[in-house]
Amino acid sequence: MAALAAEHFAALQSLLKASSKDVVRQLCQESFSRSALGSESLLDITCSSLSVTQEEAEQLLQALHRLTRLVTFRDLSSAEAILALFPENFHQNLKNLLTKIILEHIAICHRVKACKTLLSTVSLPRLVDLDWRVDIKTSSDSISRMAVPTCLLQMKIQEDPSLCGDKPSVSAVTVELSKETLDTMLDGLGRIRDQLSAVASK
Amino acid sequence: MERASESSEPVLDAKSQLIDFQWKLGMAVSSDSCRSLKYPYVAVMLKVADQSGQIKNKFIEMTIPQFQNFYRQFKEIAAVMETV
Repeated sequence: MAALAAEHFAALQSLLKASSKDVVRQLCQESFSRSALGSESLLDITCSSLSVTQEEAEQLLQALHRLTRLVTFRDLSSAEAILALFPENFHQNLKNLLTKIILEHIAICHRVKACKTLLSTVSLPRLVDLDWRVDIKTSSDSISRMAVPTCLLQMKIQEDPSLCGDKPSVSAVTVELSKETLDTMLDGLGRIRDQLSAVASK
Repeated sequence: MERASESSEPVLDAKSQLIDFQWKLGMAVSSDSCRSLKYPYVAVMLKVADQSGQIKNKFIEMTIPQFQNFYRQFKEIAAVMETV
């Protein structure tokens, strides 16, 4: 894939007309999606936020698209590698900002890809549905009057899709939970939540 | 994971009891398809005893958003149980 030509880098300089870094970031992020090329609304947004002509906006979006495609094609993942794509005389700050934005985009794509692959390969069964109902037991053969709430919970669990081919089996588990059992579960789930916060803050 | 729907009746085959609930919070760091990952997940094991006393273990793995949804639904159930 050919590297970017001088006219593409010139088109990228339209971004210098943006009022803030956030505007640049937003425009770039919009342009990263595959449907961006040829999108009328993106063209309009670009024109208005940068106060450029339609032609200039088109050239900018083309250049952005080419740049990210080149990064993907060459599988670049470091700041140095991306910075090296720009010519010597390219606006320093814009170059650094674009590099940063592209790296952020790569990280997000990577995470999405990771989640998708993880969810479809080696993994334990997944919960696909949770239905519940709360009943009140008002009497039984041994107790004539009472008001005991009880929860009927049904979980639909889908087995590991990679093991089941096209039709992963879904099994349903129905349990009855007393208030005590539910409170104990909530306790446990609360502890998981606390652990998550502790891990997240590290 | 779909939202809990109060209007659909759960199938009442046999009333099993939940007798234990174990959990694990893990982080996947690598896989055959993705060399470098930082993917947290929650794995839960439910020990369920059916009417005959037979115990079955049900394993479930959840992403963090799925876990948060799971937790939220249990809180909802508890809130309802308080009021009835």
